[in-house]
Amino acid sequence: MEDVWAWLLFFFILISLVVMLVFQLMCLSDLEFDYINPYDSASRINGVVVPEFITQGVLCLLYLITGHWFMSLLCVPYMYYNYRLYTRRQHLVDVTEIFNLLNWEKKQRLFKLGYIVLLLFISLFWLIYSALEDDEESL
Amino acid sequence: MGTEYPNSPAIPSRPASPFSVPQSSTPFKSSGPVVGPEASAFRHAPPSSSQITPPSSSYGSMVGTEASAFRTIPSGMPNGAARPPPTSGFPNMPPAAGPYQHFPAPQFSSIAQVPPPRTSLAGQPVLWPPVRPVSGSFSTSPVSLNPTQPPPVQMGSPPQSGSMVQPDPVAPRSPIDSQFSAARATMQLSSPTAGSVYPVARPSFQSSFPGYISQQTTAGAQAQPRQSLAFHPKPGGYVPPMPAASSPYFAQQGGYAAPPSVASQLGHPREQIRHPGSTHPMAVMQGLVEDFSSFSIGSVPGSFDSGLDSKVLPRPLEGDLERNTLSEMFPLNCSSRYLRLTTSGIPNSQSLASRWHLPLGAVVCPLAEAPNGEEVPVVNFAQTGIIRCKRCRTYVNPYVTFTDGGRKWRCNSCALLNDVPGEYFAHLDASGRRIDLDQRPELTKGSVEFIAPTDYMVRPPMPPLYFFLIDVSAVRSGMLEVVAQTIKSCLDNLLGFSRTQIGFITYDSTLHFYNMKSSLNQPQMMVMSDLDDVFIPLPDDLVVNLSESRTVVDAFLDSFPSMFQENTNVESAFGPALRAAFMVMSQLGGKLLIFQHSLPSLGVGRLRLRGDDIRVYGTDKEHILRIPEDPFYKQMAADFTKNQVAVNVYGFSDKYTDLATLGTLAKYTGGQVYYYPSFQAAVHKDKLCHELARDITRETAWESVMRIRCGKGVRFTTYHGNFMLRSTDLIALPAVDCDKAYAMQLSLEETLLTSQTVYFQVALLYTSSSGERRIRVHTAAAPVVADLGEMYRMADTGAIISLFTRLAIEKTLTSKLEEARKSVQLRIVKALREYRNLHAVQHRLGGRMIYPESLKCLPLYGLAICKSIALRGGYANAQPDERCAAGYTMMALPVKKMLKLLYPQLIRIDEYLLKKTSLAEDSKDKGIWKGLPLAAGSLDPQGLYLYDDGFRFVLWFGSMLSPDRVKNLLGENFAADYSKVSLRELDNEISRNLMGLLNKYRESDSSYYQLSYLVRQGEKPREGYFLLTNLIEDPVGGANGYLDWIMQLHRQVQQNA
Repeated sequence: MEDVWAWLLFFFILISLVVMLVFQLMCLSDLEFDYINPYDSASRINGVVVPEFITQGVLCLLYLITGHWFMSLLCVPYMYYNYRLYTRRQHLVDVTEIFNLLNWEKKQRLFKLGYIVLLLFISLFWLIYSALEDDEESL
Repeated sequence: MGTEYPNSPAIPSRPASPFSVPQSSTPFKSSGPVVGPEASAFRHAPPSSSQITPPSSSYGSMVGTEASAFRTIPSGMPNGAARPPPTSGFPNMPPAAGPYQHFPAPQFSSIAQVPPPRTSLAGQPVLWPPVRPVSGSFSTSPVSLNPTQPPPVQMGSPPQSGSMVQPDPVAPRSPIDSQFSAARATMQLSSPTAGSVYPVARPSFQSSFPGYISQQTTAGAQAQPRQSLAFHPKPGGYVPPMPAASSPYFAQQGGYAAPPSVASQLGHPREQIRHPGSTHPMAVMQGLVEDFSSFSIGSVPGSFDSGLDSKVLPRPLEGDLERNTLSEMFPLNCSSRYLRLTTSGIPNSQSLASRWHLPLGAVVCPLAEAPNGEEVPVVNFAQTGIIRCKRCRTYVNPYVTFTDGGRKWRCNSCALLNDVPGEYFAHLDASGRRIDLDQRPELTKGSVEFIAPTDYMVRPPMPPLYFFLIDVSAVRSGMLEVVAQTIKSCLDNLLGFSRTQIGFITYDSTLHFYNMKSSLNQPQMMVMSDLDDVFIPLPDDLVVNLSESRTVVDAFLDSFPSMFQENTNVESAFGPALRAAFMVMSQLGGKLLIFQHSLPSLGVGRLRLRGDDIRVYGTDKEHILRIPEDPFYKQMAADFTKNQVAVNVYGFSDKYTDLATLGTLAKYTGGQVYYYPSFQAAVHKDKLCHELARDITRETAWESVMRIRCGKGVRFTTYHGNFMLRSTDLIALPAVDCDKAYAMQLSLEETLLTSQTVYFQVALLYTSSSGERRIRVHTAAAPVVADLGEMYRMADTGAIISLFTRLAIEKTLTSKLEEARKSVQLRIVKALREYRNLHAVQHRLGGRMIYPESLKCLPLYGLAICKSIALRGGYANAQPDERCAAGYTMMALPVKKMLKLLYPQLIRIDEYLLKKTSLAEDSKDKGIWKGLPLAAGSLDPQGLYLYDDGFRFVLWFGSMLSPDRVKNLLGENFAADYSKVSLRELDNEISRNLMGLLNKYRESDSSYYQLSYLVRQGEKPREGYFLLTNLIEDPVGGANGYLDWIMQLHRQVQQNA
């Protein structure tokens, strides 16, 4: 039964990651279409970058703690990438160069989004699977 | 035969030289064009075997050539061996010589001519496709040859095939070939025995000829008009004199060969051939102006004798030669001062654009200084509002068309029909022009200024505001005095009189604010030592209206240098001071001038000494030295821009001050970096005075934004320069002036452009110093072309180089210097290769380097970019601060100044100084100042030279210059160390002339003050530092010289060509 709860938790964490990434992407595309100015856009994006990194780290840790080492392993490249950005101080959007980096920033976040969505589906699968298993056991 | 060649005696005279022979023979061959190239091949041959090959191969069918070449120039033909043995094919060669003597003299002469125009030869096939080149030449030998021509088809084919394929040189297989070989054999005339063969050859010619003639005539007729085109006099090019051709044939021939009369010249080239080392005639660039320019390069890797004379390489000695094709085509365009396109031919498809390897874009200088009489007219649409297209927001301009009796106008950019407002309505005359056209500058001029109504304002127009942030920590250089004096002397000339605002903050380890309230007599100084939590001690009165507080400001400027004279505090709390300045200015915006004397060492934004690390160079981390270390500065820059503050940074230190970081402030706020390394008031006073005064008194556009629009299907994608982008295509410029230019690149959005013309419109919305909101609009049209050659023809070197430089400097911020230089080189190579491919099919290019006439200086400027301070060498070649300052400066330079900086002017002035002409007279014939190539070879030890790159003068005194003259110029201490001698006007003619000259140059280029540095020949290390390293055509410090650079480019172009 704990497994179901664990998967449910992962599921929500992943959803929150997706939300954060989509938010950043929205800010970037708004910027591209001139709906907001670069200052607002950059400060909004930069506001969620660190939470995103932390959430992702926590997720990875939780996977490990709950013994889903394979899922944890899947999270590691993403985490390493974030770590590298952070140590090089490239994790924040640079407001002065934001237009020159727009395409790169978008691409980077799209990849992240795809990655998270993949994890999301796997988690969903395991969630349903373990729920069904629980059901069978309880029968 | 004999009759035909009355000049046979002439021949004997020549036999000695193998070359003469081939030439003479050519006419017989019937392949006239061939002759030229061959001859050229011969010429080139001596220096480099590689060269020989191509031409010979192109005439592969004519084995003889090779054979002859082979024999004649044994030494020159290292690769001759590689060839299949030509000799085998010509067992009968020796006999051929005999007949040779019969050749008609006229022919020879004509042939003789051939060599010079050789390049044109190569070009010609293209020009006259219908004409068999062979036939053309053939005709030239007017006399006897008629009988001999082979069938036209075949004749034509050999050259063509030759250019593409290397026919087997060995032995002629077809009868025609054999003819050729025979002809060739004749070439070998050199061998006296050839006689027997020759007769054989002739008959064959004759037989073929008849078929040929008819073609020729027609072709020839066509050719004539074109030729005349082709022969525009070309600077540096070798243009054969126009033949006074009565017959079309002749005309043709002209292309290949000069008229017979020139025969006398023949000997000349030949001689040269014999001594290839001494002169390099083949290097002469010849050209079909219409087509391309070229020079021959016998590039043998590893050989010393390049076969190329550096004298003939193209140079921009006359300065920036703009080509006005566009303004001729579209006379309503704005002046090229304001907008220059890298190529006026906009590619019509993405595939075409992708073959254009040079940058595609524009360089815009929206406020360029206009000469008197050409000021931009101001238009006030008070009643109607500014007339713009509803859809694409294009401003009304000369290219819009009025229809429907004047009630509608069609947007030139998006073709939308807009209504004409009632107040703007005017009837159309019979030709569809508005009757009030001559009163409407916006419809007749490419540049206009509209007075903007209130919808273009987000706030009331700001007053001009100058804020000075001055580092007073332990300054001993006299900088403070100079700055204070200069500001004081400029107070009357500051822009926007009666509205001008001014304020000061000074700082060392504490911040000093000055209350300049008009009711005070003396400024009140407030010291703040809490650097972590900066606040403004007074809400107002730190920035005051100049005219109201004038006495207080004057008192402050008088007293403050002496106040800090004895300052021993060496710390510099730059970051906190910047924050304070931001808080003071954020309400209004304006111009912030920072005078920084040392590395910021206290509070937020303190910097490390990081630039002196030699180990970083050459590693992946090298570029980090050139980008800001602390994100604080970028953030501050962004905030400044947001609040309409432009930052100009003045750096003075002899030690590392991390201008890479400080300059960021200027970069993103549309400002400028001035750098005076090791500032000493005694030396640099004039320079700082002039530049500071110009900075604060030149006409400035405040709180402006700029956008460049263009027609459908084209879009500007990247922008380069000192500014910040506010949205994808909106450039935010807190302050702009005439010394700033911005570059942008465009890309095609649609795969195929359907329109014939693309319109560009630059719009700069700004507040003038007088407090008026204005929009300056520059409109230009450019044709859409479908042909790459056309794009090259309409290219603008200046704009391309300007963009190139910016791209290269930006590249140094993300990668190594080496890579930035390579990227420049690579793009030039790609462009030249593409161009070569464009012509390689129709022309036999051989070892020639070809380039479009419009881009003749591109390689040289490319080299100059690589050797500019911002990109040159490595650690040892430039101080990191100097490099960064140069980078920031170059990112903002207008095209003309950029070109001058890249390829400075070097002129000899000693003779001029002796002349007793007055300056007034002199100004008339400015033409006498001919620039010299920037090479040490241009410097004569007996001369006095002036080197002028727009930023400084270097006066070079030759070691043999007469001491009297030096004494006249420098006064009594002429023998002293020149670093301690300053130039001043003395009471004699020469000195007055010199100073007059220098001042004249300074006036003509006043954006910067050119400080004169005196250098004596052989004086180390000053000579090297000031002049020798800047002679970019010389190989200095491991970098390429011009010649090597060309060779290198050429080699790379030919690889995979």
